[in-house]
Amino acid sequence: MTPSEPWRILGAATFLTLALAGAVLREGQARADGREVGLPVREIDAGALLAGDPVALELGGYLPEGSSCPPGTEGDGPGSPFEASRGGWVALASLDREWRVAGAAAGRDEASRLGPLVVRGRAWCRGGVRPLLGLDVGVSQFHPDRQEAEAVDRLLRNSRADRGAVLALVSVGKDGRARLKGLAIGARRVELDWF
Amino acid sequence: MAGYRDRLEADLDRWIADGLVESERRDAILASLGEPRRLDAATALAFVGLALLGLAVVAFVASNWNGLPRVLRFGLILAAFAGACAAAARASHAGHGAARNGLLTLAAFVFAGALGLVAPIFDIAVDPRVSLYAAGAGAGLLAASGGSTGAAAVALVLIGAGDLSDEVGTGWTWLLPAATLGAALAWRWRSAVLAQAASIALLAGSARFALASDAAEEIGFAASLLCLVLAAGARWTAQREEGVVAAVVYGWLIWGALGFFGASGSEQVMGGAAHRLIWLAMASGAVALGRNDRHGMITAGGVLAFFGAVSAILFDLGLDLMTAAGLFAACSVAALGAGWALHARRTTA
Repeated sequence: MTPSEPWRILGAATFLTLALAGAVLREGQARADGREVGLPVREIDAGALLAGDPVALELGGYLPEGSSCPPGTEGDGPGSPFEASRGGWVALASLDREWRVAGAAAGRDEASRLGPLVVRGRAWCRGGVRPLLGLDVGVSQFHPDRQEAEAVDRLLRNSRADRGAVLALVSVGKDGRARLKGLAIGARRVELDWF
Repeated sequence: MAGYRDRLEADLDRWIADGLVESERRDAILASLGEPRRLDAATALAFVGLALLGLAVVAFVASNWNGLPRVLRFGLILAAFAGACAAAARASHAGHGAARNGLLTLAAFVFAGALGLVAPIFDIAVDPRVSLYAAGAGAGLLAASGGSTGAAAVALVLIGAGDLSDEVGTGWTWLLPAATLGAALAWRWRSAVLAQAASIALLAGSARFALASDAAEEIGFAASLLCLVLAAGARWTAQREEGVVAAVVYGWLIWGALGFFGASGSEQVMGGAAHRLIWLAMASGAVALGRNDRHGMITAGGVLAFFGAVSAILFDLGLDLMTAAGLFAACSVAALGAGWALHARRTTA
């Protein structure tokens, strides 16, 4: 016997609610279980912080003078006719407290040979005396609440004085996806908590 | 209802004067209408008060949104969705079909909003296309559970948006199967609104499919022929069945036939004068068919296609006006001759 219409509606609503909540919880668990790495932030849209708007992040930065681009990253960023790659995997290697791009490849296995940790995304590098590296791992903006925005703004103002590096703290899961956990500005951390 | 009462009073007076209705029955007929529903001042003020309270709550939440913990924000959205669904279930239980339909449509929008807000609330990177498809699937589930034509139309819009968010030329289009299902539901539920949405979605999905392939003109030509065949079937059904679903689909299929044929003009399929003349003939035929079947939408489609065909001919001729004048004169003779022949046949019959 098929259930009556009101019960079908309630059943559909329950299913959709549980599916949405389950997806969020699954993301949260993957975020907690992943390996935390700090990726250098090249640009952060500080003006959007206290306006309540999404804050844009650009990962990457200048490489030391005289160094060469990591393998598989030669070329420009997305949208350019000289685009380095259309997406794949990026190999990361640890350097003190931050992780740097060790190379990029189309396949996971190929990227694994270039560095100890691999993440889905793409990297590009414009060569020169000081090569400029760009990185896209799916973390291009974040949405801090009021307290988080004020904390980040305060730390950024102080860091300009002592030239502290800004790192995006991401969790790299078993699926290779990067999930943003917070920012490290100088020696301080701002975690984007869910509670 | 008051407007209908006034018209009925005027009609009754005319029918009584013509002897079609007995004057003694006038009051009984008007009494059978019942009193029109009126909203008293207290109830009207209560509705206004509740609406203002709702706006106040929304404004308060919006102004403090960034100050709320993430989990609380998510909980509020889920509560809004659950509330809309619970109200829809209550309306269904009470037998209020229109309220059920409206509340399920609202719930579909709230679910889509919830999916869109999950990413910024929790800083989760989501593919917008996947999000739109999931929202469309959710709206479809709500539509099927409660027989809601509104939620079904929302589902088609969301799935269509998901297709459009992908670059044309990559990926599969989900709009075609969704629109086919929508058309079947429109037929089952006898809904003209859903028939309109499903028909538009079918044509949009077909166009997207053609553009994504390497043989767009060939597929467009085939789609035009298919639309003509299906339109014939829809016309046959519309003439035999009561209800507007078949008539709505019939109209859109004629638009599809005209549009796809117009877009398929190329040397590979059918180029040059042949394509333009056939397009012009199809447009003229659509105008005549629309007038014959009293289907304004088909007439309008024929007129638009006529303008399109004429513009294409002028463009092809490079604004050679003398040649254009000769060509249009020849077509005019053909159209007038066909009209005269039809009129003569009707007169002798």
